[in-house]
Amino acid sequence: MKALILVGGFGTRLRPLTLSVPKPLVDFANKPMILHQIEALKSIGVTEVVLAINYQPEVMLNFLKDFEAKLEIKITCSQETEPLGTAGPLALARDKLIDESGEPFFVLNSDVISEYPLIEMIEFHKSHGGEASIMVTKVDEPSKYGVVVTEESTGKVERFVEKPKLFVGNKINAGIYLLNPSVLDRIQLRPTSIEKEIFPKIAAEGKLYAMVLLGFWMDIGQPKDYITGLRLYLDSLRKKASPKLATGTNIIGNVLVDESAKIGEGCLIGPDVAIGPGCVVESGVRLSCCTVMRGVRIKKHACISSSIIGWHSTVGQWARVENMTILGEDVHVCDEIYSNGGVVLPHKEIKSSILKPEIVM
Amino acid sequence: MGGSEERVVAVIMVGGPTKGTRFRPLSLNTPKPLFPLAGQPMVNHPISACKKIPNLAQIYLIGLYEERDFALFVSSISNELRVPVRYLKEDKPHGSAGGLYNFRDQIMEESPSHIFLLNCDVCCSFPLAEMLVVHRSYGGMGTILVIKVSPESASQFGELVADPVTNELLHYTEKPETFVSDRINCGVYLFTPDIFTAVQDVSSQRKDRATLRRISSFEALQPANRSLPSDFVRLDQDILSPLAGKKQFYVYETTDYWEQIKTPGMSLKCSGLYLAQFRHTSPHLLASGEGMKTAAISGNVYIHPSAKVHPTAKIGPSASISANARIGAGVRLVNCIILDDVEIKENAVVIHAIVGWKSSIGRWSRVQASGDHNAKLGVTILGESVMVEDEVVVINSIVLPNKTMNVSVQEEIIL
Repeated sequence: MKALILVGGFGTRLRPLTLSVPKPLVDFANKPMILHQIEALKSIGVTEVVLAINYQPEVMLNFLKDFEAKLEIKITCSQETEPLGTAGPLALARDKLIDESGEPFFVLNSDVISEYPLIEMIEFHKSHGGEASIMVTKVDEPSKYGVVVTEESTGKVERFVEKPKLFVGNKINAGIYLLNPSVLDRIQLRPTSIEKEIFPKIAAEGKLYAMVLLGFWMDIGQPKDYITGLRLYLDSLRKKASPKLATGTNIIGNVLVDESAKIGEGCLIGPDVAIGPGCVVESGVRLSCCTVMRGVRIKKHACISSSIIGWHSTVGQWARVENMTILGEDVHVCDEIYSNGGVVLPHKEIKSSILKPEIVM
Repeated sequence: MGGSEERVVAVIMVGGPTKGTRFRPLSLNTPKPLFPLAGQPMVNHPISACKKIPNLAQIYLIGLYEERDFALFVSSISNELRVPVRYLKEDKPHGSAGGLYNFRDQIMEESPSHIFLLNCDVCCSFPLAEMLVVHRSYGGMGTILVIKVSPESASQFGELVADPVTNELLHYTEKPETFVSDRINCGVYLFTPDIFTAVQDVSSQRKDRATLRRISSFEALQPANRSLPSDFVRLDQDILSPLAGKKQFYVYETTDYWEQIKTPGMSLKCSGLYLAQFRHTSPHLLASGEGMKTAAISGNVYIHPSAKVHPTAKIGPSASISANARIGAGVRLVNCIILDDVEIKENAVVIHAIVGWKSSIGRWSRVQASGDHNAKLGVTILGESVMVEDEVVVINSIVLPNKTMNVSVQEEIIL
C-alpha cells in the first residue's frame, strides 16, 4: 500500500527552527516530525511513502537515506518546481501512487500530529464503498478552519464551508485522506486546492465520506500549537501506559527523556516536557511545558516553561525562560538572564534580558 | 623611491558566516561581503581602491566563509579588474592581527615591502596611494587611517591620540567609556613586514604567561588575557595599544566620508555614499535619464544594464537597481536597493528600503521607512522572494524570506 505526505514549503511559521532544518525534520517529542507519520504508515503495512516537497530536497533526501534502511520502507520524493497547492502534488506523483493493485492510497499532511487510526480508516473506506474518505476532528473554534458538514449516520459529506460566520458544525478537515486511484483522474497538474476544488466535486456526487477522529489531533505548524501538541501527544502516551514516559521523584506528569540525556540532582521536570538526545540538565533546574532539543545544556538553577529550546543551545545559570520563548539552533542565553517570549534566531548570544516578547535577529 | 622592487600586497578581511548576525536578514541569503552596494558587491569597493596602489602585486581576501562561497567571485573579479585576487579561508578565528600572521607565508610570497590591511565592511574613499606616500616619510611599522567624528559617537570605535606635528600614534583605546579622543580608527592600515614580528611577540608572550606555574595574584585577576589562545591576536588591543608612543605607528587623517557597514540600514546609507562617489570618479556608471525612452532620474542612480525600467517611472535619488529587475509604469523609487530579479508593479512606491532578490511588489503598494539608517526598523528590509500584494503598505518593518504580505504592517518583524 502507498502513501503521500504533503510536505510543502518553507515552514515560515515555525521559524526560527526552520531556518536550520526543513520543517518535516524539526523534532517533535524527540523524533523528526515526519518520522511520526512514516512510522504510523509503516505499522499498518504501507510499503512506499512519497514525500511531496518543494524546498531543500537535498537535505530531505540525505535524511531519508538513513531512515529508509532503518525502517525498511521505501521513501521517495516528488519535487514541485512551482507550488501546486494541496491537490496538485498528487497529480505530480501519480505514477508513484498508482500500481496494478488498484488499492487506495493515504494522503497525510506533514504538519499534523495525531492518533492515526489508519486501520479503522481502511475498514471505514471499504464499508461505505465510496471514492474517498477523509478524517475529521472536533474542535472548539470551527470558524478558524474549514468545516465539514456530514450526514450523521453514514458520514457522507454534504458540503465544505470555509471559516463559517455562523455555526454549521464543529468538525474540521483533519488532513488525513484515503483515496481511490480514480481521484487522481480529477486532478490536473496545476496549482489546485483539494478542499476547495476536488473534494466538493466528489461530495456533490455523494462519493466522499468522513470519519471522526477519536483521539488527539493538532496542527503543529506554529510554536504555540507545537507546545499544545506535545501536551496532547504525551497525554496519549500516558493513556496507552507507554513505557517511554519518564518516572522518578523528580518527574511530574508526562515527561519524555531520551536515554542519552543526563538530568542532575534536585531538578523538577514536568509536566509536558520532552528532553532530546545528548542533553545535559544540570542540578536544580525546573522545566515545565517545554521542548529541549538535541545537544542542549541547561545550567544550574535555571527555570524554563512554555518554551522551545533549539538544538545545541545553552541556557545559563539562574536564567528564567518562559512565555513562548523560542530559541533557534546554537543560541546561548547568559547566566541570570530573563526571557519573556523572546524569539531568537540561530547563532546568537543573549546577554541582556528580554522583558517583553520580541524577535532577536 | 618606489622602484620596481617595492611590491605591495593588500589584504582584505571579510569576516565569516556566524559572526555577523547584525546583517540579517540579508545575510541569510548571501555572505555580507558579496552584498551589492551601488550595484557592486561590498568587497568590490576596497578591491577597486587597491588598484590605485602603485606596484600592487596581489590582493588576498581572508575570511571564515567556505572557499566555494568566494570561488566564482574571485575568478570573475580577477578577470574583470585585471588584478590577481585570492581567497584564503581561516580554519578558525585568529583575531584581526592573528589572521594576517596566520597567512604570512602566502602574503610574503613575493617579498612585498608594504602590506595594506583593509576591513571589507568599511565604507570610505580608501586613500591608499596617499597613505603609502606618507608612510614612507614616517618610516614606522605601520600607518593607520583615522577620521574625526563627533565626541558622542567616538566611544563606539577605537579612539586614537596622535602627535599633531609628527603624526605619531601616542595612545590607543578600544571603545572607551570616557572621552579620550574624537579621532577614530577607520579599519584601514598600512604595514611593513615588521608587523609579523610584532604579532609573533604577542603570541610568544601569551604562551609564556600560560606556562608559568606561579603567576602573581594581580595577573590571576585578568580574565581577558588568560582566556585567549596564543594564536588569537587582536590588532587594536594587542598591538596598537601597547606599541603606541614607541615611534612604531603613525596616523593619516582623512576628511572624506567614512562609515561601518554593520547592518542592512547602514548598507543602504553606504550604497548612497558610493553612488555619490561615482558621480565624481566614474559618472559613466550612473544612470543619466537622457532620451525619450528612459525613466526620469533624480540624483545618483545605478541601473544594471539588464534591468527594465518603464519610462513613466521616476527613480532616485540614491537608488540602485540590480540585474533583471523589472520596474513597472508609474513606479517611484527613492533611497533604495532593488536586488536581482525583483518585479515592481505599476504605481508602487518604495522609499528607504531594500527589496530582496526575486521579490514582487504589487500595484499601488507602498514599501517605506523613516530612513533612519541607524534605527533597528529605520529601513524596511524585504528578504528573498517576498511578495507584497496589491495596495498593501509595509512601513518600518523587516520581512524574512519567502513570506507573502497580504495585510499592511508597521513596525514589525515578520519571521
